[in-house]
Amino acid sequence: MKDSSSLHAGKHKNPWVKLIRSALLYIAIALAIWGWVALFSPAHVSDITKTVYLTFSKVIKIIIAVTLGIGLLQVWVTPEQISRILGKEAGWRGIILASTIPLILGGSLFVILPLVKALREKGARLAACIAFISAWSGKAPLLPLEIEFLGLPFGVLRLVLTIPFALVTGLIGEMVLERLGGESPKEIS
Amino acid sequence: MKLDSGWIYLLIAGILIVISLIKDTGKTKKAFVTSAKVALTVFPVLFMIFVMMGFLESFVSKQTIASWFGPNHSFLGIIYGELLGSFAMIEPAAVFPFAGFLKLNGAGYGAVIGFVMSAMLIGVTHMPLEGQLFGVRFMVVRNLITFLLILLMGIVFMGVL
Repeated sequence: MKDSSSLHAGKHKNPWVKLIRSALLYIAIALAIWGWVALFSPAHVSDITKTVYLTFSKVIKIIIAVTLGIGLLQVWVTPEQISRILGKEAGWRGIILASTIPLILGGSLFVILPLVKALREKGARLAACIAFISAWSGKAPLLPLEIEFLGLPFGVLRLVLTIPFALVTGLIGEMVLERLGGESPKEIS
Repeated sequence: MKLDSGWIYLLIAGILIVISLIKDTGKTKKAFVTSAKVALTVFPVLFMIFVMMGFLESFVSKQTIASWFGPNHSFLGIIYGELLGSFAMIEPAAVFPFAGFLKLNGAGYGAVIGFVMSAMLIGVTHMPLEGQLFGVRFMVVRNLITFLLILLMGIVFMGVL
């Protein structure tokens, strides 16, 4: 009980505390792996150090640029703005917009799911909601990173295919759910 | 001399920041705060992923990775990639470095796209939230359809790339 209330308060008062806590957790896991190798297989420590160093130096500039870009995107194009645009659109246009606009959104599914829930409550149809979630995976802001690791053809093909992918998941999802009788069982809140 | 693409991206980001500053200083400051939060989220995860990549490189042979995810295992490779992605529990930004690692170690494009798409869209960690927000039926249907369509996307990727 105490935990959840302090977490809740932390969310409102200081988001940094939570961020720093999870950052330290990841660093601790990484160091634990490193330490384990140092203890049991010291010969491999330099291999791991080399991989970490080489990969970081390869992507550090891209990641800084992407991070700055996401910051700008979040303030100039907010998810709320997008949901406002989508909220107005019904029918086919809405589904097509839902399959394309979220490509430029950042964040994780933990942000996207509540946003889509809000869209649903504003009257967006099921197909648009599912398409929205799928289209978000296009992750256009991360494209520079994707190209660096997987090549230009991969990045472009994935981005382009994400649109029909989102459209089809949305339409099939809606069809199946409606045949089953809607998205409920309604949650008890 | 080969031009480092990182500088180009930084230059573009710099130009956008200048434009943003001219238009609205307050908003731009907010953007910097957001960027700092994103950086604080992404860098430690990347650090962990890179250490894990080094670890796997040292202890798991290329042949092993290729035999699970390799192009010879085309169809099963996509499914293995999807299963790995569904349970990977990693940040979107860390998905690509790890996918690149799989590719370098002999995984086929089908398995790589299976991993990337399911790591973003299926992740088992999101299911409780999705079930709570939309109902269990929605959660199951969406994840199943997504899983099947990623399989299809994997087949397209293997054919095209």
